[in-house]
Amino acid sequence: MKMKVFIRKNDCMYRAVMIGGSAGSFQVVIKILSSLPRNYPLPVFLSMHRLKHVRSGFVEALSIKSAIPVSEPFDKEQIKPGKAYLAPANYHMYIDLGNRFSLSTEPPVNHSRPSIDLSFSTAAMAYRSKLVGVILSGANKDGALGLKKVKEQGGLCIVQDPKVCDVSTMTEAALQATQVDHVFNVDQIVNFLIKLS
Amino acid sequence: MEPIEIGIVDTRNLLKLLLEEFQYDFNDYSLISLKRRFENSIQLHNMKFADILATRLKEDKSFFDLFLHEISVESTEMFRDPSLWRLLRDEFFPAQIIPGRPFHIWIPSCVSGDELFTLGIVLHECGLADQVSITAGYLSDASLAYIQSGALKLNKMEISTENYKRYQGKHVFADYFQGQGANQTRRMDLLKNLKYLKHNLSLEEVPKGVDLVIFRNRMIYYNQNFSDKISAIIWETLNPAGHLIVGIKELVLPSNVAKTFRLVNENESIYQKK
Repeated sequence: MKMKVFIRKNDCMYRAVMIGGSAGSFQVVIKILSSLPRNYPLPVFLSMHRLKHVRSGFVEALSIKSAIPVSEPFDKEQIKPGKAYLAPANYHMYIDLGNRFSLSTEPPVNHSRPSIDLSFSTAAMAYRSKLVGVILSGANKDGALGLKKVKEQGGLCIVQDPKVCDVSTMTEAALQATQVDHVFNVDQIVNFLIKLS
Repeated sequence: MEPIEIGIVDTRNLLKLLLEEFQYDFNDYSLISLKRRFENSIQLHNMKFADILATRLKEDKSFFDLFLHEISVESTEMFRDPSLWRLLRDEFFPAQIIPGRPFHIWIPSCVSGDELFTLGIVLHECGLADQVSITAGYLSDASLAYIQSGALKLNKMEISTENYKRYQGKHVFADYFQGQGANQTRRMDLLKNLKYLKHNLSLEEVPKGVDLVIFRNRMIYYNQNFSDKISAIIWETLNPAGHLIVGIKELVLPSNVAKTFRLVNENESIYQKK
């Protein structure tokens, strides 16, 4: 059994998935997390705009439907495959070298803390071409610059089709900022992420 | 306009310069945040490149103090995590502060004074301010001047006011300020028995006989070894059974067997000296 996991890990071209969106893409994130297999071989990072003062509730709501464990990481926590990590309220979530999270209370970027741009660009530095970046529905242009960094490092970029987004500002900005690999609807995103396992 | 970005090599060169020219060793700081802080300083002064910053640091020695202030991360707002401040006012302070016995609180590393002034209001609202002495640490004179000016950035006012309501403040938040609009400042006279203490990066200057240390969201900018070192220093300054409060998403790990803390309130990240 151990052998099988080992082979799978090596077979996969990617080492992590980073997803960005605003609170409005909650249902899409639920759909993704509930569809992934329990032994998903990659960590899934969720950098989502959310209310600064509401500390609890979000991760609990995701956990109910998710097939893999979901948590809000502590600063310096080690990143593990097969887990989903939600950026905590009022913190920026960075992916640090050494396979760890690094949290920050630096000023908001694009009025956002967590900033999707910062999560994506730090993950791009850490994983380079082994990262899949996904931008979902959202109400501002945060994420566009971050997705561009993913592309520059050779990672794979997916944007939710603006035509099927509740609010398309974020996805349209991402499409303008970089030449993405795929423009997908929700089912296509889910199927693509499942195929990585 | 895209934000200014410097490379890892630039960042490391600046670190080397700070160590060699100023004996400030930032090598135990999180590289990602530090790189962003350097970029912040470059942007603030329209310097565009890391080399220009390096030259300015070398040639204008008076710039270094301001630079230290600019690369320090401010607290985000007043009353961040309102439930913690409510707990301190309604339960923690009334239980811990014994009549007739002095109580000493240390906030190392103040940058914008938000946590300090929040503490002042909380002590005022539980009527225990006279019995408490506060030591506020700072790294640069520019930070001290900023704190003493009583300024609160306008963009922090809205969320701070909302937080004050969630904390269930006993008064009107605006009453803790004087002046109007951009000239509005904190009523710093509220802070009784306050001493400022300048320290370096390793907190070599520490107060004695501390009952409570509030050190929230500071160790997130350190690596693990340095966090362990600083928490051992805090442990030593604390009186027996003294408390340490860190950020909601920080963990104080039991790295040093002789100098450990136990977690006494998980929701608000309150630790007690063992």
